[in-house]
Amino acid sequence: MKIWLLAGCLLFCTMKVSAQDTDSTHAGYVPVLSGGIGYIENINGGTPTLEPAIVPVALVPLGSHVLGEARGEFVGSFQRRDGNGDYTGQVFSSLDYAQIDWLANTHAILVAGKYITPFGLYDERFVPIWIATFQSTPLTYGIGTRTTGFSVGGQARGVVTQTNHYSVQYAVYYSAHSNASQFQSARTTGFDTSVYLPTHRLEVGTSYQRFLDQKQINSEAAYFSWQPPQVPLNFKGEYDHSYYGQGYWLEAAYMLSQVPVANAFFKNVELAGRMEQSFPLHGGGNGVPGVNTQRPGVALNYYLRDNWRIISSYQRQFTPTRDVNIWNVGFTYRFVWPAWPGRK
Amino acid sequence: MRKRRVPYRVAVLIAVVAAGIWIGGMGLFARADESGQAAPAVQQGSRDHEQKSGEQVFMQNCSRCHKPPMTISPRTTGTVAMHMRVRAKLSREDEQALLRYLAP
Repeated sequence: MKIWLLAGCLLFCTMKVSAQDTDSTHAGYVPVLSGGIGYIENINGGTPTLEPAIVPVALVPLGSHVLGEARGEFVGSFQRRDGNGDYTGQVFSSLDYAQIDWLANTHAILVAGKYITPFGLYDERFVPIWIATFQSTPLTYGIGTRTTGFSVGGQARGVVTQTNHYSVQYAVYYSAHSNASQFQSARTTGFDTSVYLPTHRLEVGTSYQRFLDQKQINSEAAYFSWQPPQVPLNFKGEYDHSYYGQGYWLEAAYMLSQVPVANAFFKNVELAGRMEQSFPLHGGGNGVPGVNTQRPGVALNYYLRDNWRIISSYQRQFTPTRDVNIWNVGFTYRFVWPAWPGRK
Repeated sequence: MRKRRVPYRVAVLIAVVAAGIWIGGMGLFARADESGQAAPAVQQGSRDHEQKSGEQVFMQNCSRCHKPPMTISPRTTGTVAMHMRVRAKLSREDEQALLRYLAP
């Protein structure tokens, strides 16, 4: 009898909690199918590779406090047979993350499952093809994201404190070692914290990770992101360091909306530049290039709409043994579709 | 015998709580449909403080990573705001301001 009484109370409370925060809006909480589609031709050192990609994201809310989310990837890699024959290759599929989020209160969001490792700026925010300015990941991407860029375990994240002038954000996590199919991860623990100044649109942050599998090492990152309020510029950068190497990437992107002529065209054009370098330590490896590497580059993207982009980029990679050109040309499309019919 | 009943009760408890959360959410998106089709995500010249603060949250946080969407269906705004709250580590106040702006 007591269990049913308790269950009834919980049912009532959860229904009230689910509804109370959004009484003043018409926000809908239907399941959503989101994600991106892209088709990119990559030419690396003269070798062309066709890379079609479908990256679906499923969002399933349970009320307004619990969210189930998952992202998968279907990425093709097709190269010419024997260098000049027909294109041949295969499609790789993977589950990026599958997590349950409990939006507990204004300070804490508890995450369980397979999630993106919260290390640095790039892994959590700029990996999706419909967001990335350059389609190639930075040289230092492997630092702090071993072994897959994803972790399996638990995480707490949110806002420590917030005023009109600043907010302090955090993430702490623990990942277990896992060899399960689609859920591979290393045993790690770490944190990320950042300060955001909304009036200046400036964010400065740092990350730390202790890798607990095999050879135990520390990884650290420091990053910033700045969008000056009066100018359509977007600066961001990150410095990463670990036992196996260190390096940085700096990126600046400018929307040409201030060009006085043909503004209808130029306001959709994004011009970007990125500089990155990596330096191996103790022989490099484990995601860090084994030799000193520099890679400057430029990108030119055109937004047909807010969710359709034609993308192009050129990067020149310098190493002591070989210099190569890296070209990327293609398009990306972002979609957000309700996956459940609404009730009348 | 008694030990066997404990997991059953726990399962019932979890199912009831999940049903409560789900039903609460159903009520919300039922209301959302009454407001019609897609709502503009970017509104010019917000008139009151609530809308303005929602617009600020939108411009200050979403644009850190991606170009803001031109339109978003009211049916999906709650779900999308939850997702963005997790990604961008927003406070509940910011999420609510965002909802008032996207689906007033």
